Amino acid sequence: MRQPGPVAITGLGCICAPGRDLDSTLAALFRGTRAPGPPQRFSTTHGTRYPVFEVEDFPEVPGLLRTSALALHAVREALADADLDPAALGALRVGVCMGTTVGSTLSDEGFCRDFRAGCNPDLAPLDRVLASNPAAVIAREYNLSGPCQTVVNACSSGTDAVGLGASWIRAGLCDVVITGGADELGRITYNGFAALRITDEAPCRPFDRSRQGLNLGEGAGILILQSEATRRRRARAWVLGYGSACDAYHQTAPRPDGAGLKRALAEALAMNATPAEAVAFVNAHGTGTPDNDRVETRVLGECLPGVPFHSTKGYTGHTLGAAGAIEAAFTAAFLERRELPASAGFQDPDPDSGGGPVRVNTAFAGTVALSQSLAFGGNNAVLVLGRGERP
Amino acid sequence: MTRIEIQGLGLVGPFGNGVDAFAAALAGAESPLGQFPVPTPEGPVALPALRSATRELETFAPPRTLRRMDHFSRLGLLGAHLALADGNRPDLDPARLGLVIASGHGATGTTFSLLDSMIQDGDPFTSPIHFANSLHNASAANISLLLGVTGPCLTVSQFQLSVGSALLAAQLWLEEGRVDQVLFGAVDELSELIAYAWHRRRGSFPGPMRPLLTAAETALPGEGAAFLLLGREDGRSAYCTLEATATGGRLAEGLRPPPGDHLVLAADGRRALGAAYATAAAGATVSCFTPLYGSSPASPGFDLAAAALMLKAGRSFGSPGGECDFPAQVAQPGDPLKSNQITCLCLAGTEGFASTTLAR
Repeated sequence: MRQPGPVAITGLGCICAPGRDLDSTLAALFRGTRAPGPPQRFSTTHGTRYPVFEVEDFPEVPGLLRTSALALHAVREALADADLDPAALGALRVGVCMGTTVGSTLSDEGFCRDFRAGCNPDLAPLDRVLASNPAAVIAREYNLSGPCQTVVNACSSGTDAVGLGASWIRAGLCDVVITGGADELGRITYNGFAALRITDEAPCRPFDRSRQGLNLGEGAGILILQSEATRRRRARAWVLGYGSACDAYHQTAPRPDGAGLKRALAEALAMNATPAEAVAFVNAHGTGTPDNDRVETRVLGECLPGVPFHSTKGYTGHTLGAAGAIEAAFTAAFLERRELPASAGFQDPDPDSGGGPVRVNTAFAGTVALSQSLAFGGNNAVLVLGRGERP
Repeated sequence: MTRIEIQGLGLVGPFGNGVDAFAAALAGAESPLGQFPVPTPEGPVALPALRSATRELETFAPPRTLRRMDHFSRLGLLGAHLALADGNRPDLDPARLGLVIASGHGATGTTFSLLDSMIQDGDPFTSPIHFANSLHNASAANISLLLGVTGPCLTVSQFQLSVGSALLAAQLWLEEGRVDQVLFGAVDELSELIAYAWHRRRGSFPGPMRPLLTAAETALPGEGAAFLLLGREDGRSAYCTLEATATGGRLAEGLRPPPGDHLVLAADGRRALGAAYATAAAGATVSCFTPLYGSSPASPGFDLAAAALMLKAGRSFGSPGGECDFPAQVAQPGDPLKSNQITCLCLAGTEGFASTTLAR
């Protein structure tokens, strides 16, 4: 049965550098704590040790990519938050829709090195990837029977996964959708972003005039979406809308006029006829790269003038395929608190962009917020979230 | 109810490129068996494989544009061009066109090149171009960029179930009215990495594939791109309608092919999945065309195209290598279709299944 309108978010889970669950992460954000540092789990031969936001002391799971282990960690928190007994999931139609970049990639440096050296490398690293597709791992862990989808839309994957998961509820395909995103830090992405020269040597400064690029991070964010027919718990938030559009401009740079982002934003607001005036704040992609932040600031200034916005990547780093999901969980939580944290790393507005994010923790009165992501490949994705029913 | 049609096909496979080449292969021509050179410590091995060529792409795009494009993206771009040409909807609005790509393994060739640049040249000299093109959505990025597609864009990677999973999104986008058309493509390449892993696991089977002999190991690696131009019914020429897409886990509980449906099986000669196909298809009328395009996560995309052509023609094509060792009726060439529906079925062991039902 189709369910038009908003989709309930009944559970949230999150793990990233600032915290191992959503509450501890939020506490760190509102304290203004951030602690990027050189990578601990791998080394590189770069002259500069670009800072990263690493989840420390997270145990490795044999046979599983760290990405999927991070996802499972956040799923456990989100299911508990939704008051869903994992053992009871088998009686429901439960789908899994996850975003990632690393979690589906057949890339293993040791394997490649041995192969090029003329050895017969162990195939175990490839088996580990094949066994670690994030959506499949979650479905397997909980013996789920519904649709299973891993979205690999680069840095908008998490946002897209949440939007697509909500459509499964609306279409009546699922009673529950476990959705979100997960990604781990590693040498390949570290070297890749450094090669593109969009990595900051210092802690990142989203939207600041002196910004030099991003810092990478890792983590997972999970949202539990539920149909009205099966929901027993008050909603923490609502998915009110989702929109996405492609720039068709450049493989790694956003379209300067932000046309794709504007279309995604308009589509997301139109889905439930949310007026732009209702938007209380925007969780921007805000990576700290000059191009990304310039486009976002201009688009927000044009489409949502005066609406407060911020970036949380100054606390988490850019967690790639997890970013949109982690930030959707944050956005839902900020709506609950009616407060958003200061945009870490921001001091001086960029005169080329106009306006800037919030400098301090900021209270607001509204009940609707946006979370948006921009990605390599020209993807733009926007979620509209509404405040839930929990006190 | 929204009726969704397959309005165009874009096929890049070992049989050649385009609908005519595919139809000829389905009518009895064989796909030429090629080789993929695999270096091993014991010396080079010529792995028998069903490979796809993309030279025809140069009739659609200037060579300068294609200069840095890898095989994975070329496969996708050619498939996309062919589907749009076959669909012949000149009034198509690029802002109302969605792009959905299914790829089980992504750009594995370029991923290996990226690692090469790190290993051989050192971390500071990692190739930025290889990095950008190693992402799973690189093919979608190149298609949107070069064809000017500005609607929503999605790449899904669910290994063997990528096609069914991604098709679900395309169907919902059309049903929700997010887009007017979706360019849907299944793309997977046979790279050095995939070929080496294949050789290590399965050796060098010389063929032919016998996918309906479920107790035998007869798989051959394949590659290609199968694109569908999907749209809501518009009164113009179309191959068939897309009735339903289902995907999920727990095969035994979840999968019940509609009784009486003609099944197109994605069986690909891997013995590990043979028993599951035999169980799922017992008693049904079946076809299987994987010997024309080999085993790859993109193969179920070709199954959809074959089913679409059968529905349009109203008759069956023969199944190459069609000997069958389980109780099912293998459709014979020229047999009139007994049903107005064909269900394409892909199984992936414990990971579940995907089924897509098409109708005349």
